Amino acid sequence: MFKRILVPTDGSAPARRAIKRAVQFAREQKARVIGFYVGPPWQLPIYSDYVPPEVLSPKEHAAAVKRTAARYLAAVKQAARAARVPCSVRYVMAPHPYDEIVKEARRRRCDLIAIASHGRRGISRLLLGSETSKVLAHSGIPVLVCR
Amino acid sequence: MFRNILVPTDGSALSRRAVDCAVQLAKQQKARVTGLWVGPAWEPNLYAYGDSVPPGFVSRKQHAEHVRSAGERHLRAVREAAAAAGVRCTCACVEGAFPYLEIVKVARRERCDLIVMASHSRRGISRLLLGSQTSRVLALADIPVLVCPP
Repeated sequence: MFKRILVPTDGSAPARRAIKRAVQFAREQKARVIGFYVGPPWQLPIYSDYVPPEVLSPKEHAAAVKRTAARYLAAVKQAARAARVPCSVRYVMAPHPYDEIVKEARRRRCDLIAIASHGRRGISRLLLGSETSKVLAHSGIPVLVCR
Repeated sequence: MFRNILVPTDGSALSRRAVDCAVQLAKQQKARVTGLWVGPAWEPNLYAYGDSVPPGFVSRKQHAEHVRSAGERHLRAVREAAAAAGVRCTCACVEGAFPYLEIVKVARRERCDLIVMASHSRRGISRLLLGSQTSRVLALADIPVLVCPP
């Protein structure tokens, strides 16, 4: 029923649990898993006129995001390899993760997004994670929200 | 991975898509489907406490009967879809003022391991917001929720 499952991760513990579930589900569905990470774009930290000396250059920032992406996406690759599920990964740098997630799903012609109910900003039982709720509102394909 | 899929419906066209999605998934996973319709809670009419019972008064029994027959009508779509796909199906019909609470409660009671819901239904589509009941179920449920877009 589902052939291509997009699995966005932000490296948090809930995201890792969602990865496990998504991979297990993909194995049953004989689907392909696409790991995805959205890193922050480079930004000059400016406190009014003052620019702190320890600022990362755009290049250094890109390298740092690349390292982070590699670490977070390794979890997807590892889980997929263990379950023998075909897998590819990709990362981008952008200010709005939900936007990139929805776009990437469209670009890669995914038919399901599997995402954790909460990520980095922690759990409040009463609310859904901010990026997850935005993905739900904008996605044109079904979304599996993992607790 | 999923054994018992709960699919709450309000009888709208959009929730119909969630039903189809749930049944298709259940067929593939060899799971069963639990259909659910939540009717409004009975609200006692204040006039009825006096001696005079107004003509529009609906007793608790009558209300339960209305809910049951409306539920039957709404759940028929689930039953038919499941029968067409050869999926085992049970249906529940409960009363409650807050559908999301009933949905989460029934999911627990029936030991469901997935809830399939439409992202919007009755109260219409705003691209920016998720349906009210769906977002509340997402916040409260302790099992995965599959949200189907319109």
